[in-house]
Amino acid sequence: MGKCYLAWAKDPEIRQKGGSGGFVTATLLAALKEGLVERVLIVRRIDEFEGVPLLTDDPEEVKSCSSAHLAAPLNLSSYIPPGERVAVTVKPCDARAIIERSKRRQIDLEDIYMVGLNCGGTFMPVRTMEAVSDLFGLDPGDVLGFEVSKGKFLVEARSGTYTLPMVELERMGYGRRDPCRYCNINIPVMADLACGDAGVPPGMRATFVEILTDKGDELFEAGIKTSMIEFEEAGEEEIETRVRTDRRMSEDADMWWDELSSMIDEDDHLSYYINELGRCIHCGSCKIVCPVCACKDDAKCLDMGREGYRISLYNLIRLFHLMDSCIGCGQCEDVCPVDIPLTMIHQRFERRMEKELGYRPGFEMSKPPLQEPEPGGKV
Amino acid sequence: MAIERWEPKILAFCCNWCSYAGADVAGVERRQMPPSFRIIRVMCSGSVDPCWVLEAFLEGADGVLITGCHPGECHYLNTNYHTARRYRLLRIFIEELGLEPDRLRLEWISATEGIKFAEVIRDMTEKIRALGPSRLGPER
Repeated sequence: MGKCYLAWAKDPEIRQKGGSGGFVTATLLAALKEGLVERVLIVRRIDEFEGVPLLTDDPEEVKSCSSAHLAAPLNLSSYIPPGERVAVTVKPCDARAIIERSKRRQIDLEDIYMVGLNCGGTFMPVRTMEAVSDLFGLDPGDVLGFEVSKGKFLVEARSGTYTLPMVELERMGYGRRDPCRYCNINIPVMADLACGDAGVPPGMRATFVEILTDKGDELFEAGIKTSMIEFEEAGEEEIETRVRTDRRMSEDADMWWDELSSMIDEDDHLSYYINELGRCIHCGSCKIVCPVCACKDDAKCLDMGREGYRISLYNLIRLFHLMDSCIGCGQCEDVCPVDIPLTMIHQRFERRMEKELGYRPGFEMSKPPLQEPEPGGKV
Repeated sequence: MAIERWEPKILAFCCNWCSYAGADVAGVERRQMPPSFRIIRVMCSGSVDPCWVLEAFLEGADGVLITGCHPGECHYLNTNYHTARRYRLLRIFIEELGLEPDRLRLEWISATEGIKFAEVIRDMTEKIRALGPSRLGPER
C-alpha cells in the first residue's frame, strides 16, 4: 500500500464545488501550472445525465468540470492524444485500458499521468432518465443532479429530493450498468494516484488519496509546490474504513457475478453461447469501441461473419483474441444494437484464463500470455 | 440398406519438418490407423492460427490435432513453445465454450516417429468416438 493522505483544495471555491474537497481539480490545475503536462483529459457534464470527454489546457474549463460524474459510461483511454503529455482522470477500467493499450504500443505510458478515481459504477444516461420518470414521476429536465451515497440513490430535483435504496433500484432493472455491477475493482491501484471519498470522516470535505507511483508523487508535490492543496496524513482508522468499504463493494460485485453465472447451465455452455451470439448482425460496433483492440482496420475478424456457422468466426476470433486482454469496461455491451451481453461473455473467458494462468490484464506491465512462449514447451 | 455408422473426423495440422514426415513414415511402415484424419501440412506448428482451429470445428471437425517438433528441436528457434501457449489457451477457450477439451490435442512427433503418429491417431479416434459428434459443427 502506498502513502495515504486526506487532502483538499486550498481554494475555498474549488473545495466547496468539488465532489469531495476538490483535490482532483486542484491537482490537475497544479500539474498544468507546473508544466508536468500539456493538457488534461477529463469528463465534462453536458447535462445531469451525461458526460463527454474534454481535452483542455484552460484552467477555467478544468474548474468548471469539477465534481464526480456517475453518468459517464466512457472509456477515456480512447481519447488520449498521441505524443503529448497529459494528465487523465481514470476509473479502474480506464487505467487498465491505458495499460493494455501501452503494451500494444497504442499509448506511451511515459507521457500519461493517471489520476485514479475510486469507482462504484457508472450509469447509462437513457436508463437513468427512465428511472427518474418511471419511479419518481419526474421530468428528466427538472433534475438538478443525482448521486449514490451510502447505498442510496439520491435525485435532486426542482420539486425536492427523492431517494431509493440502490438494492431496490437495481432489482427493478435500473441503476448501474451491468458490467459495473459485477466489476470487483473499485480502487484504481494501477493508476498513479487513487482518490476517493471512502475513508474520509463524515462531514469533512476532503479526498482520501493514496500515492501509488513516483508519478503520483510528482503530482502530489506539484499540488504542494503551487500551494493548491492542503493535506494531513490519513490515520489507521481511516485506512481501515477504506479497505472495508472496498472489500464490501467487491463482495457485492462477486455476488452479482455468481448470480448471473448461475443462470447459465453449467453442463451446457454451448447452447447459451449459440443462443446469445446467434443474434449478432455483424455490424462491427463492438470491435470499433473496444479500447484494448489494437488491430484497427487491419483486423482479420472484420472479414468474417457471413459464413452461416453456428457461432460466427467474427465472434469466436474476438472472444479468443480478447481472452488475455478484456478488462470488462462494458463498451461493447453499451453499443450492441441487438443487446448481446457481450461484456459478460468476454469476461467469462477472461476470468477463466485469469484463474488458470494467474495473469490479470491491465494490472502490471508483464506481456500478455498470448504473446509469450510456454516455458519448457510443456503441454 | 445398412445404417451409416458415424465416424469421427479429425483434422491434423502437421509440421513440414517433423510430424508430416512422421506421418509418411507411419505409412511406409504399414502402421494400422483408422482413416479418420485429414492432414494439412504447415511450415511450423507455430503457424497454426488459433482461428483455423476454431474454423475447423465450425466446419464440422470432431477433433483437431496439432503436431510439431519436440521442444528444443523447432526448425524456427522456439516457435513450438508459442504453439504450446496457444494450445493451452485454446483448450481453456473451447472448454468454456462448451466443447470437450479432449477434442483438441497437441503432440510432439519427430520425423522418425511413425509408430507414435499411428498411436496418437488410434488413441484420439477412440476418444472422440466415445465423445460423439461435435456440437459446434454445421446442423445435420
